[in-house]
Amino acid sequence: MEKKYNLRLLYMLIPAFVLLILFTYIPIVRGGIMAFQYYNMFNLNIRFCGLENFKAIIFDKNFNFWRILSNTAVWVFVSLVFQFVLGFILALLMRKPFKGRGIYSAFVFYPWAVSGFAIGLVWSWMFNGQFGIVNDLLRRIGLIHQNIGFLSDPKFAMMSVIIANIWYGVPFFAIMLLAALQSIPQELYEAAEIDGASGIQKLFKITIPYIKPTIISTTLLRTMWIMNFPDIIYAMTRGGPANSTNILATHLINKVYQFYDYGQGAALGMIIMSILFIYALFYLRISASKEVTL
Amino acid sequence: MKKMILKILKFVVLGIYLVAAILPFYWVLITSLKGPKEIYTFPIRYFPSKVTFESYRQLFSFANFGVYFKNSLLVSLSAALGAMIVSILAGYALSRHRQRRFKSGVLLAFYFTQMIPPFVLMTPLFTMLSKFQMIDKLSTLFILYITMVTAFSSIMSKSFFDNIPISLEEAGYIDGCNTMQVLFKIVFPLSLPGMAAIFSFAFVNIWNELFLAVMFIMSDEKRTIPVALNSFISKAGISWDIMSAGLVIALLPTMAVFAFAQKYIVSGLTKGAVKG
Repeated sequence: MEKKYNLRLLYMLIPAFVLLILFTYIPIVRGGIMAFQYYNMFNLNIRFCGLENFKAIIFDKNFNFWRILSNTAVWVFVSLVFQFVLGFILALLMRKPFKGRGIYSAFVFYPWAVSGFAIGLVWSWMFNGQFGIVNDLLRRIGLIHQNIGFLSDPKFAMMSVIIANIWYGVPFFAIMLLAALQSIPQELYEAAEIDGASGIQKLFKITIPYIKPTIISTTLLRTMWIMNFPDIIYAMTRGGPANSTNILATHLINKVYQFYDYGQGAALGMIIMSILFIYALFYLRISASKEVTL
Repeated sequence: MKKMILKILKFVVLGIYLVAAILPFYWVLITSLKGPKEIYTFPIRYFPSKVTFESYRQLFSFANFGVYFKNSLLVSLSAALGAMIVSILAGYALSRHRQRRFKSGVLLAFYFTQMIPPFVLMTPLFTMLSKFQMIDKLSTLFILYITMVTAFSSIMSKSFFDNIPISLEEAGYIDGCNTMQVLFKIVFPLSLPGMAAIFSFAFVNIWNELFLAVMFIMSDEKRTIPVALNSFISKAGISWDIMSAGLVIALLPTMAVFAFAQKYIVSGLTKGAVKG
């Protein structure tokens, strides 16, 4: 009986597994193989080439690899920190019910449901060097006197795409952290108040420790996601100007969609995956959280 | 007194968040209503001097946007429905299976797919699917989109089923129901909120997808909305009147879904990613 029951459950897993095997696992294995092959549209003589693709990427004269790596680090780290802090503040403010909280959350959470590509387009219009609203607002308050080419000037481009990304990511953290905050038993705070704890003390001694597992899993997930997420940059600058916003993921897209070099594209994919894998291991080790279970 | 100030401060900050969240959408909406001439004139106006729907008219006549909208809607609705069915089956099986090691193995296999950069899959998928003449078909997008959201949706649906006590089903079996009856009469009615969460979650993600669609769709009449928006970006630049009208239309369905299913989306997001 027990065996039959488990078997029947196994059948229910088949559709999901057939799809994942056919359209994710087989392609990723083939992608892994491709990373070690000459494979591009202009040279149909596909053959193994050892580590040539990796070498070509690292010593590329037109696309400085270390620049791309440091861009990626800046993009991921700065975006993540601001998304988290701003999202956490929003969650703390929305924690206690107030009139109209439902409608309010519909508005402030909505950016989560928009595509990164659309967000990128919206923000490139906002940052437009001539007719953009950002330039206009900054001029009106007198912060600048001349328009800034936010997306055409290498000095400002990275900052601009990161601002768009922060704006996009705040709702995710607010949603997740708000849910975690609401699971904290009220008695903890009442006990702390009797003991005369201040607001700051309550935040650091009760709130943050209590939701630590959520903080760890959301920041971990989000890091992977931001690193794999070129949509905003693709829509705003495509990695330019002069490589200033090129991260590993946009570099990969350009290799595939622009240069049709599938071998190097796959090699870049492997680089991204290994970085993420090492990062995840390292992160879980230092945050030493046994609470985070899959 | 101090309490009062803190309260005011709180609502001021909440107000700033609200303005920051709305401003980009407001700006795009206003741009789409301005008409091409007023968009590119100084000083910049924060409200159109004369509201015109010229951009929308051009979008639907000259850019064929109606067809793209229909394609997007068709693919997103059907794939979200398909993903819901696949992941409910998988999630139920994962939740009720009694071997822990098997369960965590499958979960790990699902989680692993979330780490793969989607772009590594593009070329292998393309060569594979072109062998089976599956390029440039909306049905191919349908299948790929189901796959794209299946792993996360299954994890989500597992945690929904975890919250439905198994004793209810056991009672059903004792009363003489078979498996299908237990599923359709007891489990599914209880898991309706979970299904709504999975469906709306999948719909939003599929509606927004760009890169797979760019890779697999060539003919103009099969384009989805993100592909069309992408094609508005040309070497010469972007005509922001048509683009902003396109963006407004592209946002409408996710807005509708979000307004209607925000509660479910939020619960799905938190259940899928935190507890697992």
